[in-house]
Amino acid sequence: MTRSVPDRLLSFFSWACALSLISALFIIIGFLVLKGYKALTPELIFGDVRPLDALLLKRQVFGGLFPAMAGTFFLILLSMALALPLGLASGIYLAEFAPSGTKRVLSFLFDILSGIPSIVVGLFGFSITIFLHHYFGGRIFPCLLISALSLAFLVLPYIIRTTQIALESLPLSLRLTAPALGATKARNIFYVLLPSSLSGIISGLILAMGRCAEDTAVIMLTGAVATAGIPKSVFSGFEALPFYIYYMASEYSGPPELMKAYGAALILLILCTVLFVFSHGIKHLLRAKTQYLPNPL
Amino acid sequence: MKKNIQIRMDHLWFHYHDRVVLEDIRIEIEKNAITAISGPSGQGKSSFLMVLNRLWENIPGARVTGRVEMDFGKGFEDIHRSSLPVHRLRQRVGMVFQTPNPLPMSIYKNIAFPLTLMGEKDRAKIAFRVEAALKKAYLWDEVKDRLAENAETLSGGQQQRLCMARALAAEPTVLLLDEPTSSLDEASVRVIEDLLLELKKSCTIILVSHYMDQIQRIADHCLVLSDRRLRPDTAKGRDI
Repeated sequence: MTRSVPDRLLSFFSWACALSLISALFIIIGFLVLKGYKALTPELIFGDVRPLDALLLKRQVFGGLFPAMAGTFFLILLSMALALPLGLASGIYLAEFAPSGTKRVLSFLFDILSGIPSIVVGLFGFSITIFLHHYFGGRIFPCLLISALSLAFLVLPYIIRTTQIALESLPLSLRLTAPALGATKARNIFYVLLPSSLSGIISGLILAMGRCAEDTAVIMLTGAVATAGIPKSVFSGFEALPFYIYYMASEYSGPPELMKAYGAALILLILCTVLFVFSHGIKHLLRAKTQYLPNPL
Repeated sequence: MKKNIQIRMDHLWFHYHDRVVLEDIRIEIEKNAITAISGPSGQGKSSFLMVLNRLWENIPGARVTGRVEMDFGKGFEDIHRSSLPVHRLRQRVGMVFQTPNPLPMSIYKNIAFPLTLMGEKDRAKIAFRVEAALKKAYLWDEVKDRLAENAETLSGGQQQRLCMARALAAEPTVLLLDEPTSSLDEASVRVIEDLLLELKKSCTIILVSHYMDQIQRIADHCLVLSDRRLRPDTAKGRDI
């Protein structure tokens, strides 16, 4: 069967678009790898400290990326711990409980929230810090907790909307199955609807994690500093990879420092990949738990 | 006039948004019998079934008025009364849908699901009832070695029998079947029909079916739904 010219053009255009996007991705990653792989040495991460000493926190690392990696890791963990329960609960509320009018208004507001530039969220976090600093007699400074709260606020709409959409897109036949067997609304949500929409929810989670890992504008206003070491508590300042990359790239004094920035970018990419693989692992684990165990629930 | 009545309906109206789906239904349905409901597509046969287990309450825009009473052994009870929680009603009034709808879990868990919902915790008892339900639906021999597999890996016909077994596991008083054999081959249809004839000894069955030959074979009574009203199928002299 021969295809018409518009058909072929459309097909060609679709292929070209997909190809250019994928090549853009590979060019960026390839560029980073080419420029940064030489910098990927234990010294880049641990400086002149022995890796084991650094990992066991026996000696503080100066001139290495270890504190920034730890800072970014804790920042992602804390932000997600704050945003995830709230986001999931709000998404479930919007999809399953909210009356249609409330749902329309809230969905609209969350869409606006997801469009707020991160610098604005950063400034908001900064204002809150100033307010708290005055209120608590100068004991509160920009810190990990305020950064994590601001980032959680930034990624909350992603988690809410993806959870809501994942739940709402389940077919009516599946939604009715458990209620027809005598399941209450809560049991239907936890045993059937949430496990069935897990992929959609995890996609939102991955998007949110990526955003937490890369965002610089929020953290540079609310807690990230150039030298802080491993954060001792949630109320201390912290180092973060994107912030390190940002100031190294803008203020490097010579090629070795620029190389370190490339190395840092590569490490950030690896850190994100590890987190994504980890969240996919959780998805499969949860799915296996709900599907394949022979004992009932 | 029959003496043995399971379900009574009076002045029942079903609205979907502004559209009237069922109009002033007044019928009685006999206990331990198969009552078939036929009629053109899109006339509200499935909606009628959903009235009986109040599943319409989960459909946005649906509204029901009128009285529905069922006899669960202690005389007639209004199924809409507030002291009867809807999940308790649905445990007594089982339903099998037209399209097989296994839950996203293992074969075993699918059948055990209604039992755990009823609060059954004894694993040995659950295992016994799962096996019994699967045997009743003639599925046990085919799945006994793969109970831990995802139910979605079964074939269409097997999935439908799984849904039947799942509905039977709770030992319902009333069983609602929405064209349960439309996705099955001839052999499986006969198996299900034999099962229904066996089941009616312990259960009241309401069966939506398009197949007149099937209705002739197994139904004790036949109702026709057309123009929003449910009437006895007098043409066949099998009215209730």
